[in-house]
Amino acid sequence: MTTLTPTADRSAPAAIAERPHASTYLNGFVNEVHKGLLGLRAGWREVLVQMITFPLFYLLLVLFMGRGQLKDDLLVPGLLGMVALTFIHEQVNRVFWSYLGDLQSGVLEQTYLTPMPSWVLVLGRQVAAVVSALPSALSVLLVGVITIEARGGNTPFDVQILVPLAAMVLGTCGFALVLCGLTLVYKRIEIITQFSIAIWFIAGGTFVPLDKMPDVTAFLSRLILPIAPGIEATRDILLGGHSLTNLPTGWGLWWVLLQPLLLVAAGVVLFGRLERVARRRGTLGRY
Amino acid sequence: MSTQTQAPSSHERPGAASATPAIEISGLTKIYGSSETKSVDDVSLSVPAGTVFGFLGPNGAGKTTTIKILAGLLAATSGHTLLNGYDVTRRRSAAMQQFGAVLEGSRNVYWNLSAWQNLLYFGRLKGMRTAEARSRAEELLKGLGLWERRSESVGGYSRGMQQKVAVAAALIADPPIVLLDEPTIGLDVEATRTVMEWVRTLSRDRGKTVLLTTHQMNVVEELCDRVAVIREGKVIADLRTEELLSQFRERDKYEVRIEGDLPDEALPDGFTAKAHEGTTTISGRVSDPQEVYALVDRLRDRRAVVQSLAQVQPDLEDVFMGLIKAPAHD
Repeated sequence: MTTLTPTADRSAPAAIAERPHASTYLNGFVNEVHKGLLGLRAGWREVLVQMITFPLFYLLLVLFMGRGQLKDDLLVPGLLGMVALTFIHEQVNRVFWSYLGDLQSGVLEQTYLTPMPSWVLVLGRQVAAVVSALPSALSVLLVGVITIEARGGNTPFDVQILVPLAAMVLGTCGFALVLCGLTLVYKRIEIITQFSIAIWFIAGGTFVPLDKMPDVTAFLSRLILPIAPGIEATRDILLGGHSLTNLPTGWGLWWVLLQPLLLVAAGVVLFGRLERVARRRGTLGRY
Repeated sequence: MSTQTQAPSSHERPGAASATPAIEISGLTKIYGSSETKSVDDVSLSVPAGTVFGFLGPNGAGKTTTIKILAGLLAATSGHTLLNGYDVTRRRSAAMQQFGAVLEGSRNVYWNLSAWQNLLYFGRLKGMRTAEARSRAEELLKGLGLWERRSESVGGYSRGMQQKVAVAAALIADPPIVLLDEPTIGLDVEATRTVMEWVRTLSRDRGKTVLLTTHQMNVVEELCDRVAVIREGKVIADLRTEELLSQFRERDKYEVRIEGDLPDEALPDGFTAKAHEGTTTISGRVSDPQEVYALVDRLRDRRAVVQSLAQVQPDLEDVFMGLIKAPAHD
């Protein structure tokens, strides 16, 4: 016989927190990250497949660019581009598809039936996606380093690249926020996600440096693509040996730092607006 | 920084023991986009604390829209919704602490997580401390007979078990109000019984307010203290269940069962006859009980053997069908 054991009667709560405590926000955030990582663990087989296919794709791409040969002068720049591309591909896709999945299964609505503001949960989701993107990106890096070292090459490293890397992560979060907002309102926007990955591949500076592109393309890429300034700075530091404060290509350190902040701000504003539209149209759940 | 609420001033003090309705909806209207159709049209309802409230209506009548507005998932075009006195729009955080919900058609919980992980996740999301959520999750899972399988993915559970997890997730923070949108849809008889048992326990033993939508009238008749019927976005009835039934009792229906067949010409106007396995059931509504005696006399004249004569009480399904088929009045 199914029973529900009575606990202390809470049918008439005496005092209700109008706004959750800061610690409640933090718990909600950690909770969301934890849930994302549980999902990562549950899907470990898929992650394993990605950890094999992304490095293979990198090697094939370098072979293709070298007309059938693994050329040393292509391995390092190719590695920079591929690690960044793998990372952003994974991060954006994980956030987008998990959000869409929750929307279509109706679970997203349940997360709205809590005192927790949605931005806390989206933030947690983003951090979980960042962590989830790491295995694939690191596997590309590892295979790249092994290949370069095995061919007698040298893999450059400079701690300064952590700054543009962090900027890329932040900018990608801003972009993913916009995608999540759009997902709340519009159906079938997965094409935007796929299209954006293609744009980063072609015009994000991942394989072809921005300064080798037409001026208009380079300008637009630096302006709006979340990884472009970061990739350009990373190239300058690792391949050109320049310091962070003296980046010869692109618009300098200030833009590397400012662009992701602007993207996050745009993401927050757009997400908030689109969420309100979703509440008006009743599209928070589409099952 | 957390802020404790002042007692809701413009309305009444929250709580089951107070006079504040647990759920209060006033002048609620919802128009989607530029449509001229009102999905919900000036709906006002008041549900006293501790009540099991049945919210009925045909598909597309506006039940789920109303529930979603009540849950803050959908913005109303106009009107107000209060949960234990807290305005769902203006005091969202406090209002969200007043209820748990199981929504129709939704998975409600993560199928790739286990029941245990789901309950901890939703418990913490609702502001519970981990230790508190663990203890409550254990209590719920044991109570619902899921404890032994708590570590399995919900996706591998049967439909009934998944629904149990959804209900447990809605109850994890022990909210005073529970919204159940079609909680028994797709469930077998046993699982439906289980859900009904929970609702009864929640209301009678725990003092919870339950708002329930379902198409299963036996569920409503058995559980609900009060029933509202919505049609084309408008509430067309809102009464205590027995009052609703008694209103329809005015047009009493009688049923006479006789052995063998009855020729059509012997059937009085307004009555119908159905023959089945050697017996015939004659039924019809009468405005005056004398008509029943006249019918029996008529049957006796034809030497029919009367097996039984009974006044048929309208069940909620009759009432519901009567209400939704009646011509609309503006």
